[in-house]
Amino acid sequence: MNLHIVVCVKQVPVSNNVKIDPVTKNLVRSSEPGVMNPFDQNAIEAALKLKHRYGGKVTLISMGPKNFEITLRQGLAMGCDDAILLSSRAFGGADTLATGYVLSQAIKALDKVHLVFFGRQSIDADTGQVGPIVAEFLDWPQVTYVSKITPLSEEIIEATRLMEHMEQTIEVKLPAIFTVRSELNEPRYPTPRNIQLSYQKTIETWDEHSMNLDLNRIGIKGSPTVVRKVWSPSKPKKMTQSLGRDVDHAVQQLLVILRSQNIL
Amino acid sequence: MVNKDIWIYAEQHQQMVQPVTYQLITKANAIKNDKKVVVVLFETPEKNIEEDIKLYGPDEIIVIKDKRIKDAPDSLIADLIAQLSKQRKPNSILFGATVIGRSISARLQAKLLTGLTADCLDLSFEDDLLIQTKPSYGDNIMCEIICPHHFPQMATVRPNIFVAQKTKNNEVTITEVKNLKFKENTNIKVNEERPLLSKLDSIANANRVIAVGRGMSHPDGIQLAFKLATKLGAKIGVTRPLTDLAPFSVDDQIGQSGSSIAPKFLLTLGVHGAVQFTTGIGKADVSVAVNNNPKAPIFDVVDYSFVGDAQAFAEAFLKIIQ
Repeated sequence: MNLHIVVCVKQVPVSNNVKIDPVTKNLVRSSEPGVMNPFDQNAIEAALKLKHRYGGKVTLISMGPKNFEITLRQGLAMGCDDAILLSSRAFGGADTLATGYVLSQAIKALDKVHLVFFGRQSIDADTGQVGPIVAEFLDWPQVTYVSKITPLSEEIIEATRLMEHMEQTIEVKLPAIFTVRSELNEPRYPTPRNIQLSYQKTIETWDEHSMNLDLNRIGIKGSPTVVRKVWSPSKPKKMTQSLGRDVDHAVQQLLVILRSQNIL
Repeated sequence: MVNKDIWIYAEQHQQMVQPVTYQLITKANAIKNDKKVVVVLFETPEKNIEEDIKLYGPDEIIVIKDKRIKDAPDSLIADLIAQLSKQRKPNSILFGATVIGRSISARLQAKLLTGLTADCLDLSFEDDLLIQTKPSYGDNIMCEIICPHHFPQMATVRPNIFVAQKTKNNEVTITEVKNLKFKENTNIKVNEERPLLSKLDSIANANRVIAVGRGMSHPDGIQLAFKLATKLGAKIGVTRPLTDLAPFSVDDQIGQSGSSIAPKFLLTLGVHGAVQFTTGIGKADVSVAVNNNPKAPIFDVVDYSFVGDAQAFAEAFLKIIQ
């Protein structure tokens, strides 16, 4: 059997150092186009390992503006086989529900898919919601926050899910969805040869007419949540007291302070 | 008609209610006005976890007792809450922003086709509208998010942001629900669950924390920090760059995408103080920063400062308390 594996990836800002324009109240993002969400590289690595073992192909899917091709190209250079960019004004303003809906419809439009990988969360919005939403819309089992994958056969995978204070070993029958942690693997670097090859691979662009979509469920219209206000948190400045400049004196003083407050 | 219930999912690890559940009950009680705080609890028949939850004073606990709860996958729990939500139509459903909370709530959101806000730092109500404050871009931006036309309004809330308090109000209605359908799914099976002992004693609950940053990240510095920590009975936490350095991992990370801490005493050594880090230390009682850069932003958010070499400070401090 050849596995068809999908990896959903997102492009995130190079730096999270965004600010609010004090006049327009809009987000001022750096003009740099962005990079692949780090956890998504772990997802690609996991997909490529399974492909290597069982054969098949890895398809990348991303939803966003045209410049998200940078991230898809990087994924192709890591060794993925083809890529689809879901890009249209109609998708704009989507929250996690609308995003998950479009991704799940795109996956349904592909030739039979056996597994879908996601990174555990994106580092800009930090929700981790889209993977489980897609799993629900496809009616597939999910294993989130995966730190280890052991294929038992081409159809059954055992995965370790790493939580705050415990670990679970979960056995799933494909098709299934996995969201992966950085502990899972060390993502490969694109080799020069793969970078070259990646330019022979195509990135398809799909819009709202490329798949079967209920137009009321996409973009802003399909998004139940509304951002009402955005601001930069003011750092609460403390009245900081100096312990002086001499190190021995400073630790003495600290000891007195800690004793007076019953800390030591 | 949507009713006025604020639901809280009782998260458990190995049948122990997680602190975030209690924190959410206390917070919900504080903002509820005319609403009711209802805990949704799944447990196996021999358990009586509702007795623990009662102490925190929700108005009601909905209990689903069934042996199939043991090792239930996310999809089953989400499906049961969805059935319950369709029967009772709560105003809102809150989860901890934990692995389990995030995984079940997102699946539930898709079942109920409603909004879900991740990782909230604050919640309040304007009449029946839940105002959800969440950070974005690594805590550099705060957003106020609402879900005005869909119910229930759903949110996950970051652990250790609110303080749980037991109440004297023990007038808690216990409602056992027996009419839910357990959909069997043979495609997923939780085979084993193991506690991670080393993580049980986490920095989030530690009374004393030494935070180590890049300015103290050479092997000698780390060794010294551990010595000092042993002497003080402190836990070591680190900034994001150090999580890549043995023996640390993301579990030791303080700040956004790591843990928020609330120790009685915090000593930061060689920590510069990026916002992503400092958002995690606001609850420390007494905080001290040591850094050789007098302009380091860490000095704006601590009680006591020492401008100088972190290692020299740690050595001197170790000597004086020995």
